[in-house]
Amino acid sequence: MNKLIPALAAMLLALPAAAAKDQLHLYNWNNYIAPETVKRFEEACKCEVVQTYYSDNEELLAKLAAGAKGYDVLVPTGNAVQALIRGNQLKPIDIAKVPNAKNVDPAVMNTKFDPGNKFSIPYAMSTTIIGYNEEKMKELGLPTDTWAVIFDPKYLAKVKGRVTVLDSPNELFAAALKYLGYSANDTDEKHWKEAADVIKKAKPYWAAFNASSYIKELTVGNIWLVHGYSNDIFQANLDAQAAGRKFKIVQGMPKEGAVLAVDSMVIHKDAPRPDLALQFMNFMLDGRNSAELTNLIGSGNPNTSAAQYIKPELKALPAVFPPKDLQAKLEQLTDLTAAQRRQRSRMWTEIKAGK
Amino acid sequence: MRGRFGKWLVGGPPLLYLLVFFAAPSLIMVLASFRSPGEFGGLAPLQDADGNLDLTVESYTRFFTEPLYWQIFLKSFWYAIATTLICLVLAYPLASLIARSNRKHRDLLLLLVILPFWSNFLIRVYAWMIILGPNAAVARTVNGFLGLFGVEPVSLLFSSFAVLVCLVYVHLPFMVLPLYANLEKHDRTLLDAAQDLGAGAWQRFWRITFPLSLPGVYAGAALVFIPAFGIFAIPDILGGPDDSLIGNVIKQQFLETRDWPFGSVLSIVLTVLALGLAGFAAWIGKRSVARLAVGDA
Amino acid sequence: MHRPPYLLWAAALFAYAFLYLPLIIVIVYSFNDSKLNAEWVGFTLDWYRKLADNNEMLQAAGNSLLIAFVASVVSTVLGTMAGIAMYRYKTRLLPVLVLTPIAIPEILMGVSLLIFFVLLNFTLGLLSVALAHIAFCIGFVAIVVRARLTGMDESLVEAARDCGATPWQAFRLVTLPLIMPGVIAGALMAFTLSIDDFVITFFTAGAGTVTLPLQIYSMIKIAVTPEVNAVSTLLMLLTLLLIVIASKVSPSLLRAS
Repeated sequence: MNKLIPALAAMLLALPAAAAKDQLHLYNWNNYIAPETVKRFEEACKCEVVQTYYSDNEELLAKLAAGAKGYDVLVPTGNAVQALIRGNQLKPIDIAKVPNAKNVDPAVMNTKFDPGNKFSIPYAMSTTIIGYNEEKMKELGLPTDTWAVIFDPKYLAKVKGRVTVLDSPNELFAAALKYLGYSANDTDEKHWKEAADVIKKAKPYWAAFNASSYIKELTVGNIWLVHGYSNDIFQANLDAQAAGRKFKIVQGMPKEGAVLAVDSMVIHKDAPRPDLALQFMNFMLDGRNSAELTNLIGSGNPNTSAAQYIKPELKALPAVFPPKDLQAKLEQLTDLTAAQRRQRSRMWTEIKAGK
Repeated sequence: MRGRFGKWLVGGPPLLYLLVFFAAPSLIMVLASFRSPGEFGGLAPLQDADGNLDLTVESYTRFFTEPLYWQIFLKSFWYAIATTLICLVLAYPLASLIARSNRKHRDLLLLLVILPFWSNFLIRVYAWMIILGPNAAVARTVNGFLGLFGVEPVSLLFSSFAVLVCLVYVHLPFMVLPLYANLEKHDRTLLDAAQDLGAGAWQRFWRITFPLSLPGVYAGAALVFIPAFGIFAIPDILGGPDDSLIGNVIKQQFLETRDWPFGSVLSIVLTVLALGLAGFAAWIGKRSVARLAVGDA
Repeated sequence: MHRPPYLLWAAALFAYAFLYLPLIIVIVYSFNDSKLNAEWVGFTLDWYRKLADNNEMLQAAGNSLLIAFVASVVSTVLGTMAGIAMYRYKTRLLPVLVLTPIAIPEILMGVSLLIFFVLLNFTLGLLSVALAHIAFCIGFVAIVVRARLTGMDESLVEAARDCGATPWQAFRLVTLPLIMPGVIAGALMAFTLSIDDFVITFFTAGAGTVTLPLQIYSMIKIAVTPEVNAVSTLLMLLTLLLIVIASKVSPSLLRAS
């Protein structure tokens, strides 16, 4: 017993030193890269890809804001990219070393928060939409192409206790603002109050604010209608079919528009191996590699050369590959200022406290 | 080992460890409560453009002038108290049984109490989602019963009930173990003597066992109430739209809102309240133990 | 010695049933032929097979066990010392430092420890996580040990000293056996807290350091598959086995004789 403790301590201290060979530290969402892709990259670069995961942009931001380092490549969503750029957390990308960047659809490049794509290159996309149990919605005669079915009590009364919404102030306010006809990035306090009122009126009919287990409940049939991410809803349908359920889970794109989330690859300012990071980014922007993720989880793909490798049934989904007329109504969320965040936080706390 | 030397020898190492790995980091965050939030996250620089210290009590005033947060604190308080009391009622017989068992069985029974908690927390909560789900036996029975009276079916899941059940479940071992540690040392001969003198089972419990077990009760209550007061994961996963507790609000400040100063303020208030309430309860406890000892002699 | 009344038995059994109902579901569903942890579909051993190939998950489980073991041993030693010190001497700072980590929200403690480690240029990794876990586990052990000591007969210790025992002998042969159930209870709690911690671990883990809770929580938005049930079941069994072995190997340590 007395010898065990020093031995263990020695082991613990030695562990960081053992990691001296070529490693790329990828900090990513779980299941956001196909295992085959990782293996192929490891063979191509003769290095090891060490993956750590987060399940929320905010977790990533909090950890980096407190000073964590050791990560090479991160994959944050648009507004988080904005926060990281403004917070000077990223290393500029040497675009000469990433020739495959030309494959990316110009429509998602050159955003307001990263003009010229100095810091980020789009990787995958998703939309925040409605997911529903096709059987139940037909049975109840509810519309599936509008946010009204989530916010309007006259529709909600028919699905009371069977609806969940995302537990995210940004996403829910965006949806409510879109429903009211405003931009998802509207920062007028009056409009925010209207959105908050819409949410409060609808809340009694919702089962929960849930960002994690709602997909499970949808697939099992306990929940019939969700406000959720297109990837998750796509996955839910695959799971439902695999489990032999008699209903299909369908993605519903609201006609008022929705939030488009573009996840981009970025390099952390203290990245230990920026060279490997650039190699990785270039590799992932190759059409075939990029397509593998889409085929795996049904994520949207901003890579034009990936189209030929993507399964046809995925290309037909509007939530995954929105047609041009719909694209105009999709918006990426922009980051809020500290004062605006405080204001929204207060409204959100009020909503959730049941006042 | 008496006197100052003993005190530093025994108390020194834990004191030192906690000073370094707890007090020092915490002071950073206490300081943070007086700073301004960073524009893009984290904290604003300590010195502003003129080199002056950028400190403010703005976050504190915000907290003390808004009744909203007090209401949420109160809600969390009720959940924590309810959890503690239910845990006590459930844990006491269990701890008694283990304490009375012979040595061979005792260790096994104790291990059996804690074994479920070596599985992952999330998985256990998901198991409760299955148990309380609308199509499972429990919900069907309850709703069938309610249906007899013409009452509309209730959802057991995504409700305060689910949150409370899970809170009790997750904290139960932390009530059982301290109670057991105390009950185990009770002298059986005291109870024998009381019985010989004519005391019934309930009297033996209430006049002898329970008062002697009070230190264990308070230890268990503290180890349940204090963490339960600040919990956030269970309402997040199982809670209904109204079940947001102070732990959730604090988490939100650090993550979505990126308002660390305000998050620190809420955390400090939570910590002070939790410890204060526990200390108050212990003080009351000491007085009532004294009264019990003197009054019923 | 009286047999416990039936009511006591019934209440205790009910409590055990309450504790084990979700666990039975966890174990049963590890054999469930469905990706979701939601409804029973059919029997399969696939998840265990998948787990055997899942190096990431296995390594995460191993890390969790290692950290939990180290954290519980160190925090039990330090916590026992703290409990004794708080009971025997007049301490003012120690009780505050011991109790506050239990009360403080985990997210605050996690963020503050991360900032602290970064300030010191301390490389994050398994060690930083273990150090963090020890900090919040000490309190749990200390409270239980102190509660156990309350009302303890000091005359036994005095008698031992009068018979010529050194302070260390008095501690080892008299005090320690008397408080052992409290120490064991505290150690069990510390181990449980460490093996399941998510928030503090999330902030203090280094790049590439994964523990089981970190791995599992990252799956929360996609699907927490029965592979997680499988690893949980195996982890429980493994820990149980280790403890049974440990108790056979050092019976004097665990018996409160």
